Amino acid sequence: MMKVSYYPGCSLEETAAAFDLSVRRVCEHLGVALEEIPEWACCGSSPALKMDRMLSTSLAAHNLAQARQQQTEDVVIPCPFCFRRLLSAQQEVQASSQTKQRVQEAIGAELDDNLKVQSLLGFLRFQVGLEAIAAKVRKPLKGLRVLPYYGCYLVKPATVTQYDDPENPVSMDQLLRVLGAEVLDWDFKTECCGASLAVSKADTVCELSGRIIREAAYREADALVVACQLCQANLDMRQAQISKKHGRKYNLPVIYFTQLMGLAFGMSFKELGMQRHLTSPKKTLKAKGVIQ
Amino acid sequence: MFRLKGISKEKAFLEQVMERSGQNLLKCLQCGKCSGSCPITTQQVGGPRRLIAQILSGMEEAALRDPTWWYCVSCGSCATRCPVEINTYAVATTLCEMAAEKGIKPSEAGIHRFEELFLKSVEKNGRVRELHTVMEFNLRSLRPFADAAIGIRMALKGLITPTAMLSKVRSDEKVTQIFQNIQQKQKQKA
Repeated sequence: MMKVSYYPGCSLEETAAAFDLSVRRVCEHLGVALEEIPEWACCGSSPALKMDRMLSTSLAAHNLAQARQQQTEDVVIPCPFCFRRLLSAQQEVQASSQTKQRVQEAIGAELDDNLKVQSLLGFLRFQVGLEAIAAKVRKPLKGLRVLPYYGCYLVKPATVTQYDDPENPVSMDQLLRVLGAEVLDWDFKTECCGASLAVSKADTVCELSGRIIREAAYREADALVVACQLCQANLDMRQAQISKKHGRKYNLPVIYFTQLMGLAFGMSFKELGMQRHLTSPKKTLKAKGVIQ
Repeated sequence: MFRLKGISKEKAFLEQVMERSGQNLLKCLQCGKCSGSCPITTQQVGGPRRLIAQILSGMEEAALRDPTWWYCVSCGSCATRCPVEINTYAVATTLCEMAAEKGIKPSEAGIHRFEELFLKSVEKNGRVRELHTVMEFNLRSLRPFADAAIGIRMALKGLITPTAMLSKVRSDEKVTQIFQNIQQKQKQKA
């Protein structure tokens, strides 16, 4: 049993509970023990990053300090933004002893540099590995045409994330192929969905997410597969508004990659929280024989 | 045509931005790859290339009122494609801090309101309460029923549950303390 520190992040407690659910089920199935960081707090997200650099670095670093109590080597983070913030905070304190001292004063705790901060996708793809994942596949997703959508924060900027290729990442493609899905190629893997403008500038989000949805429809994909709950929310929840704007009805399920892993491992639709998406994947998955 | 005279007053703002953001803007080639890659650059929102040009030209007032850095979602596309590796979202943070220090009214009131409410929720609870923050934002923006259709669909799908909405507010003293420590340091500086 592999033991790692787990940082779910605020969204996975609320609107993205389905992501959290599928992550926990899949990791358990793969023999990975996720130990939630005791009393973890918000990473500061985009508001702290925008408004106060010191606050942003300190909130992220606070969680690294909390994880020290657990005596694990890895911190695994499903949310790409939390992942980038915690990793960036670690890099910022490593790069400057002055920053490190200031941050330690602000959080009232010591930091050490040895924790390995990983995105969940990176952890599953590279540390658990494709072979171990392939060994668990019971129901291959044959004939399911999927488009992997990585979004921004997982891969950009490469100087921070140091993960995959920032323009043409392939780690999720590889993982989905192992599950038996038909993985389509496209140019929109790391285009922006509108991210944190989700609430304050809904028009911008409909424009940006709309471009992604339109392209996915053009490629005749059965589903978009995401690794980020903010991408999921923007692409799924705004789809009705985007349909209205484009004057055509889109019906494109936006599914977490962990949910597809769960289905391929033989878990049920409901067990993975898939009934919670606004654009229901049920009809498509039934038509393709993935679920009964 | 606008020309710089080379006097030190013109350079003061540029030097401050460079020091606080850690980005060497003097390397900027004005190639425009950043604005070409930027998801939020439009006819109304000038974009990073134009913003950096303003800073290089000592146009402090214009730069601190530019909507670009309010819109910036820190996607990192510009930083990834920039041939001289300038990270614009680091510049955005610096401009936001400087504008706040100078008491300049946010050019994008809506984005500012949301980000402030978000941080207040974190300060109080240690974690952000997403749905409460969104509802408060819509109330304060005087559009209480914005996205109500989405909210109803979310409730029907079990994404919003009464238990989650009414659940007891947790508190996190350590996080509240972090906010206080940083505010205190900033006061001492000022």
